[in-house]
Amino acid sequence: MTNLPLWLIPLFPLVATILLGTIAVVSSGGKKGAAEGIVGALAVLFPAMSFAVVAILAYGMPDAGIRETLCNWIDIPLFKADIGFMFDGLSRIMLLFVTGIGTLITMYSIGYMHGDRGFARFFAYINLFLFSMIVLVLSDNLLLTFLGWEGVGLCSYLLIGFWNKDVNNCKAANKAFIVNRVGDIGFLLGMLCLVTVGGSGILNYDALTSFIQMIMTAGHVEIVLPVLSLTGLLFFIGCTGKSAQIPLLTWLPDAMAGPTPVSALIHAATMVTSGVYLLARLGSMFAILPVVLDIITVIGMLTAFWAAMAGLFQNDIKKVLAYSTISQLGYMFMAAGVCAFDASIFHVFTHAFFKAALFLGAGAVIHALAGEQDMRKMGGLVKKTPVTACVMIFAFFAIIGFPGFAGFWSKDLILERLFMSGPMGPAFYVIGLFTAVITAVYMGRLIILTFFGEYRGSKESEEHIHEAPACMLLPMVILAFGAIFAGYLWADSIGITFFRDSLAPVVGSAQAYAATMHSAAHVNPMIFAGLGTLAALLGMFIAYKVYGNARVPAAKGSSAPEGRKATWTFFFDYVHKYCGIIPVQVLAWICDVVVDKILQATQWTLGAIATILGDGATVIQVRKVRLQVAFSVAGVAALVLVVLLTGGLI
Amino acid sequence: MELQPIYIQILALAIFALGLMTAISRRNLFFVLMGVELALNAVNLSFIGFSKTLPADMSVTGQIVPLFSIAVAAAEACVGFAMVILLFRKKESVDSDNYSNMKG
Amino acid sequence: MLALIYFIILAVIALGAAVCVFLSRHPLYGALSLVTSMVALAGIYGLIGSPFLGVVQIMVYAGAIMMLVTFVIMVLNGARDSKTPMFDKVSFFVIPAVLVLAGLVGFALVGAPLAFDETALRGSVALTSRTLFDVAQTGPGYFMLFEVLGLLLLSAMVAAVLLAKKRLGSVQSENTEEGH
Repeated sequence: MTNLPLWLIPLFPLVATILLGTIAVVSSGGKKGAAEGIVGALAVLFPAMSFAVVAILAYGMPDAGIRETLCNWIDIPLFKADIGFMFDGLSRIMLLFVTGIGTLITMYSIGYMHGDRGFARFFAYINLFLFSMIVLVLSDNLLLTFLGWEGVGLCSYLLIGFWNKDVNNCKAANKAFIVNRVGDIGFLLGMLCLVTVGGSGILNYDALTSFIQMIMTAGHVEIVLPVLSLTGLLFFIGCTGKSAQIPLLTWLPDAMAGPTPVSALIHAATMVTSGVYLLARLGSMFAILPVVLDIITVIGMLTAFWAAMAGLFQNDIKKVLAYSTISQLGYMFMAAGVCAFDASIFHVFTHAFFKAALFLGAGAVIHALAGEQDMRKMGGLVKKTPVTACVMIFAFFAIIGFPGFAGFWSKDLILERLFMSGPMGPAFYVIGLFTAVITAVYMGRLIILTFFGEYRGSKESEEHIHEAPACMLLPMVILAFGAIFAGYLWADSIGITFFRDSLAPVVGSAQAYAATMHSAAHVNPMIFAGLGTLAALLGMFIAYKVYGNARVPAAKGSSAPEGRKATWTFFFDYVHKYCGIIPVQVLAWICDVVVDKILQATQWTLGAIATILGDGATVIQVRKVRLQVAFSVAGVAALVLVVLLTGGLI
Repeated sequence: MELQPIYIQILALAIFALGLMTAISRRNLFFVLMGVELALNAVNLSFIGFSKTLPADMSVTGQIVPLFSIAVAAAEACVGFAMVILLFRKKESVDSDNYSNMKG
Repeated sequence: MLALIYFIILAVIALGAAVCVFLSRHPLYGALSLVTSMVALAGIYGLIGSPFLGVVQIMVYAGAIMMLVTFVIMVLNGARDSKTPMFDKVSFFVIPAVLVLAGLVGFALVGAPLAFDETALRGSVALTSRTLFDVAQTGPGYFMLFEVLGLLLLSAMVAAVLLAKKRLGSVQSENTEEGH
């Protein structure tokens, strides 16, 4: 069954977008929207079909993968790009969970967005997003990936600002798009640098891999190292924009202004992982760039730590999860920075499950409390919404790395690889472990404040608390199962290495090269497992001690943190303001006042010159015809003089 | 001292200049037209003077072209005076300065 | 030698008559001076070796064209504006300009080496007509031009008639008809 064409996979969501978009536009005139049943069925059907195609193709995929080129897109001397697809181990994994979780979250959204006037528009955007993400992951060259990259950025903007009557949502959407755009400059410039050193066909991933191998075997690495380092750095800047690392991470917490399924799908499971995906795809190039790899690791580490601390200060349930996402992405980047690309992708995979489960659960809580998001007003929900509570508690165990759950396998793998990665390894490991403790603390705080203790909200809202409907609960439960069992695809200690083997053809050579660079100290994985578990238990204990006795401050005003907590939380907003926004505003002021005045003066001068010349020229226009003819005669005389003096006109 | 071609040319130039001056600086319309006729005559003279300096096969031109020039001058005088009549009917004057409607 | 003397006499007459045209007040005086100048020029044509052209000049120019000019002057009472000053500010600009132009051209002419060619043909009637009516086109083709010239003269005549015609039903035509 492997002769299904690859272009079916992106085709289904595209068709769904067009259909749902048409329905949305056609029904935009009426008071009520289109019929929710049909729209919902269509919206879920197409991603499901896409997932089915991926599953069928994944089952019988040969080791080297399937490649398919549709047509040539650009063919100029500078670079060449085709519209082509590549289905190998890496894209198989990504596509499986992108389409699978996409389908589940779409099903969840049918319940969550019930009654919303923009129902059809929402699903049109979601399908457009799935199309862009599939193109990003499935493409075989950097330019088509960039198309998908931009597409997911666009859909992120559309979906964050979905409830566009509230201007704060629009501001958040703008922020997301603009910060992403700054990263995209890095992507574009990286492509350009790559083309200058690699020739015009280098944008294809296979061509890039063979180019790097050719350089390595010929020993020319030092010659291209400066340009390739610059390329790697520029691509990494693109990744920081998309995956919310320092310094371009300020958009992700604000992006929580969108509906919860959007946060689950885009800002937890799929879009923000495209940065990690890019690093893994370009792994063969990054493997020979030690400086860039060190930068990636350090930035990942700083981001993980900073975001974990910030998560501790938040009061809004979705913001806690947002900072948690940033922190976990920091872990993935740390792993990529030590060339452990398969561990990084494995964490992407498990993170998708438990983070999506957490977000969907948070959405169910918000739905149950009719829109309340401040954790200081929640509590005691474990009795009222048991299924939601169960899902979230399982996902909580997964994220802190409790043994047996998914996060245990993936996070400990990362920490192991960090330790083994050369001289700075143990330092990275210690900070990573400390961050894991803080992760457990703030996630524990979230669970305790939301589900345990006494309900701190108002009396009448307490009567309305109800469990979510079935179409919302089913995806959550499936994802919770995933959060528990997804980790077993690569359980090193037990000996299952299915995940690693499936990724080996893609990233194996890069990691082997990197392994030769550091002398790996072989360690006992049991010690690491034990240390990880200890960190998780320590965090849970601290959270219970500090927050378990209901020492919750009274909820006054907005849910934003205040005082020093605010300074920490909004630190990068200030950095952006002083480094980016204010210089641009100053520049704009200069242009407006100074340059504008200069230009106006120039215009006025030119106009005045023309006017004076014209007024002067009217002097020789006289009323008497005779005089005009006389002027002609004088002109002829002058011409004759010139001819005589210069010896001829030719 | 023999007759030199240059004398003919100088005479033609002088008559041409006089004709041009008459045509441009006199205000009476008739004098304008008469000046033009004078200038044309001077040109004819110049042609004939030059044709005498050319060898046999080219010197015939000096007979033909002035003939055409005379014919054209006749046609032009005819039409010119018709226009003078028209102008005269409009303004009852032959002073060319009265026909200046151009804004300065 | 003799040719030079004849030439000088005729040249003085031609030039003097031209100056009279320039300086005369009444257009009729100017027309008569112009006739004199043309007759003198015709003499010069004959002297140089184009007798046919000289006679044509007298017949057409001095005879037909100047007669037309005189006729129109007398009909339109061209002396009406002869009280106005002859030379005004414009003339002070025009005359020097033309003089400068003539001076420059003269300077260029004098510098050129010119000499009479002995083999130049004498413009007799036979020669001129043979060249003009050269249907076989053994030389440059003037025949076509000649025919076109006839057409030109015809069209000029028609144009003049149309231009100067009184409009039917206009005030002038009614006035003149009532006058009879």
